Amino acid sequence: MITEEMRALVGTAMDEQTSYPIAASDIRRWALAVYHPDRPPPEFWDEDDPVTIAAGGLVAPDEFNPLAWTAQDPRPRFSDPGLPVAKVGAFEAALGVEPPAFRAVLQGEIRARYGVVRMRPGDVIHSVSSISEYFEREGRMGLQLYTTISEVLTNQDGEWVKTIDTVFVRY
Amino acid sequence: MDLDPDEVAVGDELPTYSRPGSVLAWARYGAVNPVHIVGHHFEDEVARREGFDAAFIPAPLEHAYLHTMLRNWMGRSGRVLSLDIRLRRPLIRGRTLTAGGTVTALRRHGDAVSVSLDLWERDDLGELLAPGRAEVELRR
Repeated sequence: MITEEMRALVGTAMDEQTSYPIAASDIRRWALAVYHPDRPPPEFWDEDDPVTIAAGGLVAPDEFNPLAWTAQDPRPRFSDPGLPVAKVGAFEAALGVEPPAFRAVLQGEIRARYGVVRMRPGDVIHSVSSISEYFEREGRMGLQLYTTISEVLTNQDGEWVKTIDTVFVRY
Repeated sequence: MDLDPDEVAVGDELPTYSRPGSVLAWARYGAVNPVHIVGHHFEDEVARREGFDAAFIPAPLEHAYLHTMLRNWMGRSGRVLSLDIRLRRPLIRGRTLTAGGTVTALRRHGDAVSVSLDLWERDDLGELLAPGRAEVELRR
Protein backbone atom coordinates (compact mmCIF):
# COMPACT_ATOMS: atom_id res chain seq x y z
CA MET A 1 0.00 0.00 0.00
CA ILE A 2 2.92 2.34 0.71
CA THR A 3 4.49 3.61 -2.51
CA GLU A 4 7.79 5.43 -2.96
CA GLU A 5 5.77 8.49 -3.96
CA MET A 6 4.01 8.35 -0.60
CA ARG A 7 7.25 7.87 1.34
CA ALA A 8 8.63 10.99 -0.30
CA LEU A 9 5.85 13.02 1.34
CA VAL A 10 7.02 12.28 4.90
CA GLY A 11 7.95 15.50 6.66
CA THR A 12 6.47 17.82 4.04
CA ALA A 13 3.93 20.36 5.29
CA MET A 14 0.58 19.29 3.83
CA ASP A 15 -1.69 21.83 5.47
CA GLU A 16 -1.25 25.20 7.17
CA GLN A 17 -4.03 27.11 8.82
CA THR A 18 -4.33 30.24 10.92
CA SER A 19 -7.27 30.57 13.29
CA TYR A 20 -9.46 33.58 13.78
CA PRO A 21 -8.89 35.11 17.23
CA ILE A 22 -10.23 32.68 19.82
CA ALA A 23 -13.47 33.97 21.34
CA ALA A 24 -14.40 33.39 24.97
CA SER A 25 -17.65 31.85 23.73
CA ASP A 26 -15.67 29.31 21.66
CA ILE A 27 -13.99 28.12 24.85
CA ARG A 28 -17.23 28.12 26.85
CA ARG A 29 -19.10 26.09 24.23
CA TRP A 30 -16.26 23.58 23.97
CA ALA A 31 -16.10 23.06 27.72
CA LEU A 32 -19.88 22.77 28.05
CA ALA A 33 -20.04 20.19 25.24
CA VAL A 34 -17.29 18.00 26.72
CA TYR A 35 -18.37 18.26 30.37
CA HIS A 36 -22.13 17.99 29.81
CA PRO A 37 -24.13 17.48 32.02
CA ASP A 38 -21.50 18.54 34.58
CA ARG A 39 -20.40 22.13 35.12
CA PRO A 40 -16.91 22.75 33.69
CA PRO A 41 -14.19 24.25 35.87
CA PRO A 42 -14.63 28.04 36.15
CA GLU A 43 -11.37 28.87 34.36
CA PHE A 44 -13.09 27.74 31.14
CA TRP A 45 -16.20 29.92 31.46
CA ASP A 46 -16.33 32.26 34.49
CA GLU A 47 -14.30 35.42 33.96
CA ASP A 48 -15.33 36.70 37.39
CA ASP A 49 -14.14 33.67 39.34
CA PRO A 50 -11.34 34.82 41.71
CA VAL A 51 -9.00 32.02 40.71
CA THR A 52 -9.66 32.71 37.03
CA ILE A 53 -8.79 36.35 37.60
CA ALA A 54 -5.66 35.42 39.52
CA ALA A 55 -4.63 33.15 36.64
CA GLY A 56 -4.92 36.00 34.15
CA GLY A 57 -8.38 35.24 32.77
CA LEU A 58 -10.08 32.46 30.90
CA VAL A 59 -8.02 29.65 29.37
CA ALA A 60 -8.98 26.95 26.91
CA PRO A 61 -8.85 23.26 27.78
CA ASP A 62 -5.62 21.74 26.47
CA GLU A 63 -7.54 19.65 23.95
CA PHE A 64 -9.48 22.64 22.56
CA ASN A 65 -9.36 22.88 18.75
CA PRO A 66 -9.10 26.56 17.72
CA LEU A 67 -9.54 25.61 14.05
CA ALA A 68 -12.66 23.55 14.51
CA TRP A 69 -15.08 25.39 12.25
CA THR A 70 -12.92 27.41 9.89
CA ALA A 71 -9.71 29.37 9.60
CA GLN A 72 -8.50 32.72 8.27
CA ASP A 73 -6.37 31.01 5.70
CA PRO A 74 -8.13 27.73 5.10
CA ARG A 75 -5.95 25.68 2.82
CA PRO A 76 -6.76 23.43 1.11
CA ARG A 77 -10.31 22.91 2.35
CA PHE A 78 -11.91 25.79 0.45
CA SER A 79 -8.95 27.10 -1.51
CA ASP A 80 -9.75 25.92 -5.01
CA PRO A 81 -13.37 25.42 -5.99
CA GLY A 82 -12.17 23.60 -9.10
CA LEU A 83 -10.81 20.70 -7.06
CA PRO A 84 -13.07 17.87 -5.95
CA VAL A 85 -13.78 17.73 -2.23
CA ALA A 86 -11.09 15.54 -0.74
CA LYS A 87 -12.34 12.26 0.71
CA VAL A 88 -11.78 12.16 4.45
CA GLY A 89 -8.51 10.36 5.02
CA ALA A 90 -7.13 11.01 1.54
CA PHE A 91 -4.18 12.88 3.03
CA GLU A 92 -1.83 12.49 0.09
CA ALA A 93 -4.20 14.34 -2.23
CA ALA A 94 -3.26 17.61 -0.51
CA LEU A 95 0.27 17.12 -1.88
CA GLY A 96 -0.82 16.00 -5.31
CA VAL A 97 -0.27 12.27 -4.79
CA GLU A 98 -2.95 9.67 -5.44
CA PRO A 99 -4.03 8.18 -2.09
CA PRO A 100 -4.28 4.39 -1.75
CA ALA A 101 -7.73 2.85 -2.04
CA PHE A 102 -9.53 2.38 1.27
CA ARG A 103 -13.09 1.90 2.47
CA ALA A 104 -12.77 3.34 5.96
CA VAL A 105 -10.48 5.54 8.02
CA LEU A 106 -10.27 5.53 11.81
CA GLN A 107 -8.08 7.13 14.43
CA GLY A 108 -5.94 4.46 16.06
CA GLU A 109 -3.82 6.52 18.41
CA ILE A 110 -3.59 10.11 19.63
CA ARG A 111 -0.42 11.47 21.24
CA ALA A 112 -0.57 14.99 22.65
CA ARG A 113 2.30 17.14 23.98
CA TYR A 114 1.53 20.47 25.63
CA GLY A 115 3.66 23.55 26.16
CA VAL A 116 3.61 25.91 29.10
CA VAL A 117 1.61 28.50 27.15
CA ARG A 118 -2.18 28.06 27.31
CA MET A 119 -4.67 29.15 24.66
CA ARG A 120 -6.69 32.18 25.72
CA PRO A 121 -9.35 34.47 24.25
CA GLY A 122 -7.84 36.67 21.55
CA ASP A 123 -5.07 34.23 20.64
CA VAL A 124 -4.48 33.52 16.96
CA ILE A 125 -3.23 29.98 16.52
CA HIS A 126 -1.17 28.77 13.57
CA SER A 127 -1.21 25.09 12.68
CA VAL A 128 1.14 23.14 10.43
CA SER A 129 0.39 19.50 9.62
CA SER A 130 2.57 16.91 7.97
CA ILE A 131 2.72 13.16 7.44
CA SER A 132 5.39 11.96 9.86
CA GLU A 133 5.23 8.18 9.44
CA TYR A 134 3.74 5.33 7.41
CA PHE A 135 3.59 1.66 8.32
CA GLU A 136 1.45 -1.38 7.55
CA ARG A 137 0.09 -4.08 9.81
CA GLU A 138 -2.31 -6.99 9.50
CA GLY A 139 -5.41 -6.41 11.60
CA ARG A 140 -8.90 -7.81 11.98
CA MET A 141 -9.90 -5.79 8.90
CA GLY A 142 -7.04 -7.25 6.81
CA LEU A 143 -3.95 -5.31 5.75
CA GLN A 144 -4.17 -1.87 7.34
CA LEU A 145 -2.24 1.27 6.46
CA TYR A 146 -1.15 3.40 9.42
CA THR A 147 -0.42 7.05 8.74
CA THR A 148 0.72 9.46 11.44
CA ILE A 149 -0.28 13.09 10.95
CA SER A 150 1.67 15.50 13.14
CA GLU A 151 0.10 18.88 13.82
CA VAL A 152 2.13 21.61 15.50
CA LEU A 153 0.26 24.59 16.93
CA THR A 154 1.87 27.91 17.85
CA ASN A 155 0.36 31.21 18.94
CA GLN A 156 0.63 34.74 17.54
CA ASP A 157 3.94 35.23 19.36
CA GLY A 158 5.41 32.09 17.87
CA GLU A 159 5.20 30.25 21.19
CA TRP A 160 4.67 26.50 20.99
CA VAL A 161 1.24 25.53 22.30
CA LYS A 162 0.99 21.83 21.51
CA THR A 163 1.80 19.01 19.12
CA ILE A 164 -0.78 16.39 18.27
CA ASP A 165 0.29 13.16 16.55
CA THR A 166 -2.69 11.23 15.29
CA VAL A 167 -2.24 7.75 13.86
CA PHE A 168 -4.91 7.10 11.26
CA VAL A 169 -5.78 3.56 10.17
CA ARG A 170 -7.00 3.06 6.63
CA TYR A 171 -8.40 -0.28 5.42
CA MET B 1 -10.53 20.92 45.69
CA ASP B 2 -6.90 21.01 44.49
CA LEU B 3 -4.75 17.94 44.89
CA ASP B 4 -1.93 18.19 47.44
CA PRO B 5 1.20 17.03 45.59
CA ASP B 6 2.72 15.80 48.85
CA GLU B 7 -0.14 13.32 49.28
CA VAL B 8 0.32 11.65 45.89
CA ALA B 9 2.02 8.25 45.94
CA VAL B 10 2.94 5.58 43.42
CA GLY B 11 0.06 3.15 43.16
CA ASP B 12 -2.65 5.73 43.82
CA GLU B 13 -5.81 5.08 41.83
CA LEU B 14 -7.56 8.04 40.26
CA PRO B 15 -11.29 8.51 40.80
CA THR B 16 -13.03 6.94 37.82
CA TYR B 17 -14.99 8.98 35.30
CA SER B 18 -17.96 7.63 33.33
CA ARG B 19 -19.88 8.85 30.33
CA PRO B 20 -22.72 7.25 28.33
CA GLY B 21 -22.19 6.14 24.76
CA SER B 22 -24.89 8.42 23.45
CA VAL B 23 -25.24 10.10 20.07
CA LEU B 24 -26.60 13.08 21.99
CA ALA B 25 -23.20 13.51 23.67
CA TRP B 26 -21.45 12.96 20.34
CA ALA B 27 -23.71 15.54 18.67
CA ARG B 28 -22.68 18.13 21.29
CA TYR B 29 -19.04 17.35 20.55
CA GLY B 30 -19.68 17.51 16.80
CA ALA B 31 -21.20 20.95 17.28
CA VAL B 32 -17.88 22.31 18.56
CA ASN B 33 -15.56 20.11 16.46
CA PRO B 34 -17.51 19.47 13.25
CA VAL B 35 -14.91 17.41 11.41
CA HIS B 36 -16.31 14.61 13.58
CA ILE B 37 -19.80 14.92 12.17
CA VAL B 38 -19.20 11.74 10.21
CA GLY B 39 -21.64 8.95 9.39
CA HIS B 40 -20.02 6.24 11.51
CA HIS B 41 -20.53 8.31 14.68
CA PHE B 42 -24.26 8.75 14.12
CA GLU B 43 -25.58 6.04 11.80
CA ASP B 44 -25.43 2.38 12.79
CA GLU B 45 -25.61 1.26 9.17
CA VAL B 46 -22.51 3.24 8.21
CA ALA B 47 -20.61 1.87 11.21
CA ARG B 48 -21.64 -1.70 10.33
CA ARG B 49 -20.33 -1.28 6.79
CA GLU B 50 -16.98 -0.41 8.37
CA GLY B 51 -17.04 -3.52 10.58
CA PHE B 52 -18.52 -2.28 13.85
CA ASP B 53 -21.68 -3.27 15.70
CA ALA B 54 -23.19 0.22 15.79
CA ALA B 55 -22.32 3.92 15.70
CA PHE B 56 -19.31 4.78 17.83
CA ILE B 57 -17.68 7.65 19.70
CA PRO B 58 -15.38 10.23 18.03
CA ALA B 59 -11.84 9.32 19.07
CA PRO B 60 -10.85 12.85 20.21
CA LEU B 61 -13.80 12.85 22.61
CA GLU B 62 -12.35 9.73 24.26
CA HIS B 63 -9.08 11.64 24.50
CA ALA B 64 -10.93 14.66 25.94
CA TYR B 65 -12.61 12.48 28.58
CA LEU B 66 -9.17 11.46 29.88
CA HIS B 67 -8.18 15.13 30.12
CA THR B 68 -11.38 15.76 32.08
CA MET B 69 -10.67 12.88 34.43
CA LEU B 70 -7.14 14.19 35.06
CA ARG B 71 -8.40 17.73 35.67
CA ASN B 72 -11.05 16.42 38.08
CA TRP B 73 -8.28 14.64 40.00
CA MET B 74 -5.64 17.40 39.93
CA GLY B 75 -7.80 20.44 40.41
CA ARG B 76 -6.02 23.67 39.60
CA SER B 77 -2.72 22.57 41.08
CA GLY B 78 -1.77 20.58 38.03
CA ARG B 79 -1.40 20.65 34.28
CA VAL B 80 -1.15 17.99 31.62
CA LEU B 81 2.24 17.72 29.91
CA SER B 82 1.37 14.81 27.64
CA LEU B 83 -1.48 12.39 27.11
CA ASP B 84 -1.32 9.40 24.77
CA ILE B 85 -4.16 7.04 24.01
CA ARG B 86 -4.30 3.87 21.90
CA LEU B 87 -7.74 3.26 20.50
CA ARG B 88 -8.17 -0.50 20.49
CA ARG B 89 -11.97 -0.60 20.26
CA PRO B 90 -14.42 2.27 20.02
CA LEU B 91 -17.18 2.90 22.52
CA ILE B 92 -20.32 1.67 20.79
CA ARG B 93 -23.64 3.49 21.04
CA GLY B 94 -25.59 2.24 24.03
CA ARG B 95 -22.58 1.18 26.09
CA THR B 96 -21.04 3.19 28.93
CA LEU B 97 -17.42 4.34 29.08
CA THR B 98 -15.50 4.37 32.35
CA ALA B 99 -12.02 5.85 32.56
CA GLY B 100 -9.46 5.40 35.30
CA GLY B 101 -5.77 5.57 36.02
CA THR B 102 -2.90 4.70 38.32
CA VAL B 103 0.12 6.70 39.42
CA THR B 104 3.22 4.84 38.21
CA ALA B 105 6.08 7.23 39.02
CA LEU B 106 6.84 10.49 40.82
CA ARG B 107 9.72 12.93 40.40
CA ARG B 108 9.93 15.81 42.84
CA HIS B 109 11.85 18.93 41.77
CA GLY B 110 11.52 22.15 43.73
CA ASP B 111 7.89 23.16 44.10
CA ALA B 112 6.79 20.82 41.35
CA VAL B 113 6.08 17.11 41.18
CA SER B 114 6.03 15.31 37.84
CA VAL B 115 3.66 12.39 37.85
CA SER B 116 3.50 9.50 35.38
CA LEU B 117 0.20 7.69 35.02
CA ASP B 118 -1.18 4.63 33.27
CA LEU B 119 -4.69 5.31 32.04
CA TRP B 120 -7.50 3.15 30.72
CA GLU B 121 -10.98 3.32 29.30
CA ARG B 122 -13.35 0.33 29.46
CA ASP B 123 -16.94 -0.22 28.52
CA ASP B 124 -19.60 -1.69 30.80
CA LEU B 125 -18.93 -5.17 29.37
CA GLY B 126 -15.39 -4.92 30.72
CA GLU B 127 -13.77 -4.57 27.29
CA LEU B 128 -10.58 -2.53 27.29
CA LEU B 129 -11.29 0.26 24.81
CA ALA B 130 -8.20 2.36 25.17
CA PRO B 131 -5.05 2.15 27.26
CA GLY B 132 -3.15 5.37 27.68
CA ARG B 133 -0.34 7.17 29.43
CA ALA B 134 0.01 10.68 30.75
CA GLU B 135 2.57 12.96 32.32
CA VAL B 136 1.27 15.73 34.54
CA GLU B 137 2.92 18.34 36.68
CA LEU B 138 1.58 19.26 40.11
CA ARG B 139 2.55 22.41 41.98
CA ARG B 140 2.40 23.19 45.67
